[in-house]
Amino acid sequence: MEKSDVQKQVISVVAKVLKMDASEISPDANFIFDLGADSMQSLELIAGFEEEFNIEMDEDKALAVQTVSDAVEFIYNYL
Amino acid sequence: MTLKSEIHKKNLEKIFYPDSVAIIGANKVRGTVPHDILANILKADFNGIVFPVSPREKFISGIKSYQYVVDINDPVDLAILVFPSSVCHMALEQCGQKGIKSAIIISAGFKEVGGEGIEREKQIKAIADKYDMSFIGPNCLGVINTDPSSRINASFARKMPEEGTIGFLSQSGALCTAVLDYAQAKHIGFSKFISFGNKADISEIDLLYYLKDDPKTKVILMYLEEVSDGIALMKAAQDVISTSGKPILILKSGRTSEGASAAASHTGSLAGSDEICDAAFKQSGIIRCSNIEEMFNIAIAFAYQPPPKTNNIAIITNAGGPGVLTTDAAIHDGLKLAAFSEETTAILKKNLPKTANIKNPVDVIGDARADRYNIALTSAFNDPAVDAVFVILTPQSMTDIDLIAREIAKVSSHYKKPVYTSFMGAADVQEGIDVLQRNKIPHYSLPESMSKAVATVYKFNQQKHDIVKKERIFNDLKPEIAKEILNNAIAKNIGYLTEETALKVLGAYGLPVLESYLANTPDKAVQYAEKIGFPVVMKVMSEDIVHKFDVGGVVLNIQNNDDARTAYETILKNVQTKQPGAKLKGVLVTKMISSGEEVILGLKRDPSFNSVIMFGLGGIFVEIFKDVSFRIAPVDEISATSMINEIKSSAILKGARGKAVSDIQSIVESIMRLSKLATDCPQIKELDINPLIVLEEGKGCYIADAKIMVLTNSK
Repeated sequence: MEKSDVQKQVISVVAKVLKMDASEISPDANFIFDLGADSMQSLELIAGFEEEFNIEMDEDKALAVQTVSDAVEFIYNYL
Repeated sequence: MTLKSEIHKKNLEKIFYPDSVAIIGANKVRGTVPHDILANILKADFNGIVFPVSPREKFISGIKSYQYVVDINDPVDLAILVFPSSVCHMALEQCGQKGIKSAIIISAGFKEVGGEGIEREKQIKAIADKYDMSFIGPNCLGVINTDPSSRINASFARKMPEEGTIGFLSQSGALCTAVLDYAQAKHIGFSKFISFGNKADISEIDLLYYLKDDPKTKVILMYLEEVSDGIALMKAAQDVISTSGKPILILKSGRTSEGASAAASHTGSLAGSDEICDAAFKQSGIIRCSNIEEMFNIAIAFAYQPPPKTNNIAIITNAGGPGVLTTDAAIHDGLKLAAFSEETTAILKKNLPKTANIKNPVDVIGDARADRYNIALTSAFNDPAVDAVFVILTPQSMTDIDLIAREIAKVSSHYKKPVYTSFMGAADVQEGIDVLQRNKIPHYSLPESMSKAVATVYKFNQQKHDIVKKERIFNDLKPEIAKEILNNAIAKNIGYLTEETALKVLGAYGLPVLESYLANTPDKAVQYAEKIGFPVVMKVMSEDIVHKFDVGGVVLNIQNNDDARTAYETILKNVQTKQPGAKLKGVLVTKMISSGEEVILGLKRDPSFNSVIMFGLGGIFVEIFKDVSFRIAPVDEISATSMINEIKSSAILKGARGKAVSDIQSIVESIMRLSKLATDCPQIKELDINPLIVLEEGKGCYIADAKIMVLTNSK
């Protein structure tokens, strides 16, 4: 899978979990500062990514990921 | 004042009196910190504009919300950050870009969690410095200003406290909530209420200076867990007290003996962190309290009433026993029962029942109602010999508690003399207590607490002008000699100076060293003993031997040449047997002082307070009796004298049980000279002069033994 495809899917998951339009989500967006994710939503995002990509992530490391582009990089390494 | 503290001073004004506030990280979820802070600000009728900042919400509590603080077109005076710590730096950076100079960072997850948190705290501090911003926190409850011109509750406390004249500062946020609850129950109001958390930027020192100039604050209370810069705290306290006269009450936790365990000297082992803190607070006029109740007992005495001009009090009671208890407590605390004038006595005699006690303490008898309290209280206030009135009440079947409380409030409002009350009991007296508290009449559940609080107020007002140090200047000091010896020791990595070398350092500061010579042969020892004059003392000198007595390295009271020769040989033999590897410098011959009192002077370095000076009764049992006192250098004459008066055995020096009075003035001078050595020579780690032998008044004192530990590179 190409990184650009991973990015599209990541944005799609973020939009779904945070109930936003995918067009509002930039790759540089910080989950908390820009997108307003709270702690519960951060956990939902991890679950959403795991389901979308069929992977199991280290939760502590996943929670430390702050931006959409970092999430893409993080998930890409699991694939 | 440093540049940063000037910036803080300016920016603090906008923390307490902002025209507009942005709550960055606000949300709509009830019961969360971001929501409750916004709710508290709105509930308190803040006199300014509020801007919620939330990445996703368009409106919060009916107020337009902004995605970023930089999106707000209007100026913002104060930013309150409630984001998780991981993004606080981003929010603060935007505050800087927006030109906001004042912030409160509520969020936790910084230094207190270690690891990444420490780095995050450095990051936000660097951002604040870059934009000349000031912030309170992080990891705090927030800030409250009850001043009606602002009325801001920028905290997640459950309640807005009443308006008052007490400024409260706390390092612990959780304690703040308990204090607010306690205060609310007693109708205690605050001028400013500040939880300063990790004090990464604005510290308690900045806040003390702010409250000094705050016209709404009369009394300053602080809860501290650690003193990071003791010298700055002392200076700030002295500045606040000497220029504004406002008392500072501190509740300092962490009364442990940690830090004193690995010391090489008596001073090092006796000067634990808590003892040093105690001394520093005392020296700078800070009133140290042992618990919250005591702190507020004293605070309300300061805040609600004028201070008593003298310690002459009148006690009015409706019960004999409590009257005696109150009298006992008052006398114990240094107060006096005023002698009533003839006029007062006549009025009381005429208007009170025959069974009443018309002398001080006045007993208006158990069936007294408000009218009798009125007579007694009015008479006491009118008596020129009375400067404060204590009113005691016990709830008896005919006691009209509520009316008596109202009478006290009414009568006392016509006088400039203070009144303090103790309605003893709990359930029955509660209504009366409530009346007193609402009318700002200090109330205490126990007369002993009342007496202690009032005595503290009285002593503070007596002593507040003495806290500015008046260091004596000595013109006979030779600091270059002392510094050369100490620097030389550091260069050679010598951690312990032998007595002979230590005496040179002490002598350079005019401390009373005896004539002494270092002998390296028996003949020289005899020659020096003759020169000094018998009796003499001989001591082994070796950088390897700290405890000379333990290796048989000391011979006292040597009376003649033969004894001198024998003593020299004995010392060498003993040392060779008990510490064969020790490298010897020789044997020190000094005059034997056979009479006088033995005291100890010492010095210890402290990471927070720097130079700590110790005084106590000397000898080998000093660590057992622990009858010692401490001060932070520089020590002036008043402090040096109080150090001596403070120890339990000072009576011995003052001529107890027929003993001659000792030359106390010579000790005072020695303490001040040692203090000067301590401040001039940071190379000294620890120092003991033990014993300093004090002769009769006018005859001085002499150092009989001394040791100096040097702060070498390896220590």
